[in-house]
Amino acid sequence: MEFGPILRSMARNKVRYGLIVAEVALTLAIVVNCVNMIGDARREMARSSGFDDDNILSVRSTPFVPAFKEDGYLDAAVRKDLDAVKAIPGVVAVSNTRFLPWQGGGSSTTTRVLGSKGEFLRNQVYNADESTLETLGSRLVEGRNFTRQEVESDTRRLREVTTSNRPPGADGKPLEKISQDIIVSRAFGELLFKDGKSLGKGLEDEDGDQYRIVGVIDHFYNPYGWPIHEYVMFFPGYARSFQGGSAYLVRVAPEKMKAVRPQVEKVLLAANTGRNVQLRELTEIKERFQSQSALLVRILSLVIFLLLFVTSLGIVGLTVFSVAERTRQIGTRRALGARKLDILSYFLLENWLVTSMGLVLGVALAYALNVALVTRLNGTRMDAGLVIVGVGLLRLFGLAATYFPARKGAAVAPAVATRNV
Amino acid sequence: MLSMKKIQKVYRTDMIETHALHDFSIDVTTGEFVAVMGRSGSGKTTFLNVAGLLDTFDEGTYHLDGQDVSRLSDNEMSKIRNQKIGFIFQSFNLIPDLDVFDNIDVPLRYRRLPAADRRERIEKAVRTVGLLSRNHHLPSQLSGGQQQRVAIARVLAGDPKFILADEPTGNLDTMMSREVMDLLEKINDSGTTIVMVTHTPECASRASRQIHLLDGEVVDLNSLPPENADRSSASLASTLQ
Amino acid sequence: MLLHNLRIAWKSLRRNVTLSVLIVSGIALGIAVSTTFAAFRHAFSKDPIPQKSDVLRYVRLDSWDPLKPYPGDDPSRPPTQITYRDMQGLMKSTIPVRQGGMFVSNFYVYPDPKVGRPFRELTRLCFSDFFPMFDVPFQYGSGWDRKADAGPDPVVVLSQEMNHKLFGGANSVGRTVRLADRDFRVVGVLAGWRPNVRFYDLTQNQIATPENIYIPFNLLRPMQIRTNGNTDGWGTSGASGFEGFLQSEVCWIQYWVELPNEKSAGAYLDFLNAYVLEQKKTGRFQRPLNNRLSTVSEWMTDAGVVPKQATAMLIVSLLFLAVCAVNLVGLLLGKFLARGGEVGVRRALGASRADIFLQHIVECELIAVLGGAIGILLSLGALAAMNAWLKTIAARGGFFRLDLSMILLSVGLSLAAGLVAGIYPAWRTCRLAPAMHLKV
Repeated sequence: MEFGPILRSMARNKVRYGLIVAEVALTLAIVVNCVNMIGDARREMARSSGFDDDNILSVRSTPFVPAFKEDGYLDAAVRKDLDAVKAIPGVVAVSNTRFLPWQGGGSSTTTRVLGSKGEFLRNQVYNADESTLETLGSRLVEGRNFTRQEVESDTRRLREVTTSNRPPGADGKPLEKISQDIIVSRAFGELLFKDGKSLGKGLEDEDGDQYRIVGVIDHFYNPYGWPIHEYVMFFPGYARSFQGGSAYLVRVAPEKMKAVRPQVEKVLLAANTGRNVQLRELTEIKERFQSQSALLVRILSLVIFLLLFVTSLGIVGLTVFSVAERTRQIGTRRALGARKLDILSYFLLENWLVTSMGLVLGVALAYALNVALVTRLNGTRMDAGLVIVGVGLLRLFGLAATYFPARKGAAVAPAVATRNV
Repeated sequence: MLSMKKIQKVYRTDMIETHALHDFSIDVTTGEFVAVMGRSGSGKTTFLNVAGLLDTFDEGTYHLDGQDVSRLSDNEMSKIRNQKIGFIFQSFNLIPDLDVFDNIDVPLRYRRLPAADRRERIEKAVRTVGLLSRNHHLPSQLSGGQQQRVAIARVLAGDPKFILADEPTGNLDTMMSREVMDLLEKINDSGTTIVMVTHTPECASRASRQIHLLDGEVVDLNSLPPENADRSSASLASTLQ
Repeated sequence: MLLHNLRIAWKSLRRNVTLSVLIVSGIALGIAVSTTFAAFRHAFSKDPIPQKSDVLRYVRLDSWDPLKPYPGDDPSRPPTQITYRDMQGLMKSTIPVRQGGMFVSNFYVYPDPKVGRPFRELTRLCFSDFFPMFDVPFQYGSGWDRKADAGPDPVVVLSQEMNHKLFGGANSVGRTVRLADRDFRVVGVLAGWRPNVRFYDLTQNQIATPENIYIPFNLLRPMQIRTNGNTDGWGTSGASGFEGFLQSEVCWIQYWVELPNEKSAGAYLDFLNAYVLEQKKTGRFQRPLNNRLSTVSEWMTDAGVVPKQATAMLIVSLLFLAVCAVNLVGLLLGKFLARGGEVGVRRALGASRADIFLQHIVECELIAVLGGAIGILLSLGALAAMNAWLKTIAARGGFFRLDLSMILLSVGLSLAAGLVAGIYPAWRTCRLAPAMHLKV
């Protein structure tokens, strides 16, 4: 309707309107990038580990009486622990493994396809006993699980190898090789074998030790310092020593954690007093691992809220001044027959124009900031949909921030025109 | 005291030029009390702005107190306004957040006077206008006449060479107008030059000389068109009484 | 005049309280957010040992796999730690005034049964130079001497907390503590030592507080002590067993030297290069020569002590402050120009443009200082909340603080924001033609 007069009035007050344009542009750029960062953090936090996180309890037993230095005593103690915990009502499964999800790390090694001249690829590696998969809640999609018998025999075999100080050959690698059956994650299988058919295939490590894939689990995710979150191999064996103690994972029936946890502690301390036990629920470990991201999400949300508040403030301020300055003019217009709606729409249109310019500039600025964050600070590229939502959001805030002061302007009495101010 | 020769002041916009002052000349000697009269649009306001160094002009020369003030920088003009000119406005123009004392203090501070000197001047000026008990009142707590007396005190405290008054009684009732005019006369009696812009003959009659403006020029009373002549001669008559 | 202008400014703010609250709260939010994130980042980035940060150097050698670089963000960086063999090689140099390798292990402490059950505790194995090198403060006694390094003698230094736990805080020098399978004689107790970042070992939890127990490094062989820290290995593990581990290419030791000046630093780097070239002859170090002798701050940068998100947040918060400043410009412009009449009167009464400009700039600065003060208070609250959060996840308090440098920064930011936001409105105001606004 009256673009002309509005534009001319804006041209006369370039700086004042320019400021709002700049403010809207900066706000859009910041809000969109903050939302993008929130999205990243949330996606990261929402990633599933593939395990029954909510119902898993981690137990660490650290012996301090010298009796544990003797292998027979140690093995018997661990077996006693496992049997005692398994007998607690509400316990679904218990396993002796060093794997602990969500601790932000673990252990890794490098392997490659057996017989290939390819590069050695880094992957996570953990021991597993016959009930580790059941305890984690992992599903085998191919092949078989470890049997108790092979877990026990491999444990014995590895122990002999470590105590014998395998003498190295001419190439620096141990003369005596080990070969083991392993279970891998599907992602790791697909990394090694492009066709995804990894079952039954062999791997080797840099010592020349060999591994045969006997099972594949469908989903595995454990954040690690290096980018190997989804690549894992489990080998059969118990993990226990005097120095390192023994670690257990306990899976409890849904909703039973509260009841079972104190029972586990009680039962273990009763089973053997020569050690300390430390219990942590997987949800606590996960929460702690994600706490930084959670804080980031909260802070960024607050920043977005404050920013929209400040920008709305600026728009309210502009409209208030704009109205105050034109009180007489509005009165005159009203006297000449303008309806309240006409006055209101004048200010709304004025705001629409100013925010539009700000938003156009803001989109450019948002992408520029995003590029800077991506290249310098590990940010992620943002989605065009996000920008559109941001534009819509600021539109809405802009209109709301104009509407209330403008309505006051529309309420100016026509009699103002005749008043000698 | 004040001497303008052939002053031209033109307001330009994109479309039109308005000659606000045209070949305007005037001389006011020290100690005079001059009333400048004219209808709205006659150039009174422009004269006032130029005379008060509130605005510049295009051509001609202006001497104030023996000094050529035709082409001064903004800062030099500020300094002369501050030290030599006292302004009295129709709407008093007191600063609303400042009390009486602080309002009078405003020009003295710009003159960078020491605090003791300022206090002495302010107290003396307030006493002269009879508002000693109102030192710490805000303008909004005073009547119109009192506010104008504060404005006059603000002038007196500065001890200017010459006072420019712009419709000083325009917003006042008859009683108060008389009080203010009495005060101005008293000031003039003490030797201060006063130039007063007004359109009321009653006020103009208090001056020692009247000047009439029409379309930016000083007009000779004798060559005025009849309807103007009537009013002017009436006021002249009242002066003569 | 300044004082007078401040009074005028204060009156001007009181004239329209609602508007003033809006203006001040806008800038207060900007200062609060930017101060909070500056302090957040500063908690990680500030120099943990300013008096010695330029003489301490962290040593890295590229002994990694010839086939591929050490994994990480930047493939040009050598491993973060060195091997035991290389540590022994480096210890032979006499150039550093102090030096030594170190690592952390986990030990069972067997306290007097009256005190409590045995418990596991992180224990640092280091050389006698550790304590003077890092200016570690002592409450009782001191570190051990070089003779104890060579022994190695079973001596121990306890933290103040550990001394409190084991001996009730009494002077325990000369008393005995049982660690693992032998008795240790206490030679020193630390006074509270709380560097914000555990700069001497950035390979693990970088903001953890220092360990509670310290024993001589050379005890690792007689006691067969394994590291509890990161171990980065590549290629074949070689011979297994404890000796095999020590002789392997696994990197697990942090190594520091103190070099008093640039000359000795240059000489030491020459020594490192010569050492590596010597080793190349034996078939080790097959990667290009890539030795690093990093100052504390260089090492902190490489180790990524400052979270990238903290930097991103700081940028965002400064942009936020910019928005607040832009907002302030608009509000001030409206406020000042609405006051054309008063400015006209002041100009008529003799105020120069400079007087008017100054008056309004002072008003802007007053607004900024008020906003800044409120902003600092708000950010103190925000930092307290973040400290509470950190306490729950990392068991350490007082990590985020507004130290003097941060307070100065936020005062500076406030004044700058007020000035930047105020210049244009004040300039516009002082350019108002005096005559235009007198006739009302």
